[in-house]
Amino acid sequence: MKSAPLPLMLLILGLTYAFLYVPISVLVALSFNESGLPTAWTGFSVKWYGELARNGDILKAAGNTLIVALASTVVATTLGTLLAVGVEIRRRKGRFLETIIFAPMIIPDIVLAIALLSFFSLLNVTMGLHTIIVSHVVFNLAFVCAVVRARLKTFDWSVVEASQDLGASTLTTLRRVVLPVLSPAVVAGALLAFTLSVDEFIIAFFTAGAGRDSITLPMQIFAMIRFGVTPEINALSTIVMGLSVLMLTLSQRLNRGRLPGQ
Amino acid sequence: MSEPLLSLSNVTKEFGSVRAVDGVNLDIAENEFFALLGASGSGKTTLLRMLAGFETPTSGEVRLDGRDISHVSPNHRPVNLMFQSYALFPHMSVARNIAYGLEMERLPRSEINARVDEILEMIQLSDLAGRKPDQLSGGQRQRVALARALVKRPRLLLLDEPLGALDKKLRGAMQLELKRIQDQFGITFIVVTHDQEEALVMADRVAILKDGGLLQCGTPREIYEHPQSRFAADFIGLMNFMPATVADGALLARDGSRIVAPLPDDAHNGDRMIAAVRPERLHLGEGTHENRLHGRLIAKAYHGLDLQLHLETGLSQEPILVRLTASEAEGQTLETGTAITLGWTARDTRVFNA
Repeated sequence: MKSAPLPLMLLILGLTYAFLYVPISVLVALSFNESGLPTAWTGFSVKWYGELARNGDILKAAGNTLIVALASTVVATTLGTLLAVGVEIRRRKGRFLETIIFAPMIIPDIVLAIALLSFFSLLNVTMGLHTIIVSHVVFNLAFVCAVVRARLKTFDWSVVEASQDLGASTLTTLRRVVLPVLSPAVVAGALLAFTLSVDEFIIAFFTAGAGRDSITLPMQIFAMIRFGVTPEINALSTIVMGLSVLMLTLSQRLNRGRLPGQ
Repeated sequence: MSEPLLSLSNVTKEFGSVRAVDGVNLDIAENEFFALLGASGSGKTTLLRMLAGFETPTSGEVRLDGRDISHVSPNHRPVNLMFQSYALFPHMSVARNIAYGLEMERLPRSEINARVDEILEMIQLSDLAGRKPDQLSGGQRQRVALARALVKRPRLLLLDEPLGALDKKLRGAMQLELKRIQDQFGITFIVVTHDQEEALVMADRVAILKDGGLLQCGTPREIYEHPQSRFAADFIGLMNFMPATVADGALLARDGSRIVAPLPDDAHNGDRMIAAVRPERLHLGEGTHENRLHGRLIAKAYHGLDLQLHLETGLSQEPILVRLTASEAEGQTLETGTAITLGWTARDTRVFNA
């Protein structure tokens, strides 16, 4: 096959990247616009970030998001890692187990959200932050498990036997050999889980319950946006995006560029 | 032999309906270099894993220093295994890898350091103590794996295909190196290998395993010179086999020629046997040997130390293989296609049941 001439390829490449990143760049730029209007640039300012810090609703929502993200990450990372190790050991017994573990990654969020809402209603659970945490654990578990399993695929199990042979108990082997070898993947999985949880909207929206006490940051932004895009939202979005990019980069680097499920 | 260090009695291991190891009896003395030799599927690895404690025998007993250790877990027996893949801990340096086993014994830090330094010096890797395994060459990794097992001063060291991952030249050097180290430490070594040459070169005694059972056990010389079965004779070195029948205290070959050989006591006229002779036991010319063969030279190959000939004869369907030493071959005009006569003694002939 004859490939397209270089200038044409560069043009397509440039347009693709522009399509992907120009809107985001505009948002970031506007968050620093003194006037706060999308139509006129009146100078560089960080005053909208200052406004954010004085907005009680936003701070409250940010706090909630942190609680949900941290709690669901800790639970999902612990369970997901153990699950990955268990599944890998039992792998020869069939691949069915693998498929159902990854289901929460594939099922549309809206379906998962409705399912969880129905489930909690059925059990008569009072909804709030705790139900959001449980719901986030559901999908984060699958992601952590996928990342850790990618690492386990190249794991040489004979080191486990070597450790035993040299006199270590099962627990010592887990602590001194298995976990250290897996740790980059575990941390990468945790960072990914945290990132996913921070900007998750639909599932949190459905399982938060009625009160204002359990509003998370994406929900708060959604509420604010109904009255138009304010400069504060631009600033807030910039912060959330910056955090996500940082986390994802760390996660990828720790896991040597492997994506979940790969 | 005095009280053996290791004693296997009737050790059997079944996986489901498959009998991987079948009633093995074996005594191994202190300070012995022992080789378990077998093809893949012969049960040698399963046997080794039972000695290390990763498998428990279905029946039978494994005794070490007179104590039954059949059901003792790997971390509680004074036995160490050098894994075929080396199984070095990838997140630890060379020194940490070696220290690991000593840390498990909760020895004082000063003693651990001293012993690690000592063994690093011995395997000439002191300079690389801080390296991670993935920064080492194959040969270096092999030495670290060996040091990690040796530093614990086990009663018994098991080595699973220790030289399998090395290239051919390095393997030759390491065969002698392993023997030297075994001598120096005075630890009993059991090596599992599928490489008969490796077993012969390194071991004091060799056991041949086949289908989970012990076929023959003896010194390399006994095994090579007096194989007790056709399989053993074929597995170790090269051997010419000639089908024959017993006739009046000797053998009658396919082409009607007589082969004089030490026959088993219960041999009767008409019994079908196989006569065998090593290629290097065949000599050029009529000579004074009891046995003689005539053949047509179909191929020859020069190997430096020796000259190998392939002969077409009436004795067997396969060509007869001959190895002449360089001095024997000297001055001989051996043209392919010509007829050649060779002789061998009755003493060098082995006889197996067909």
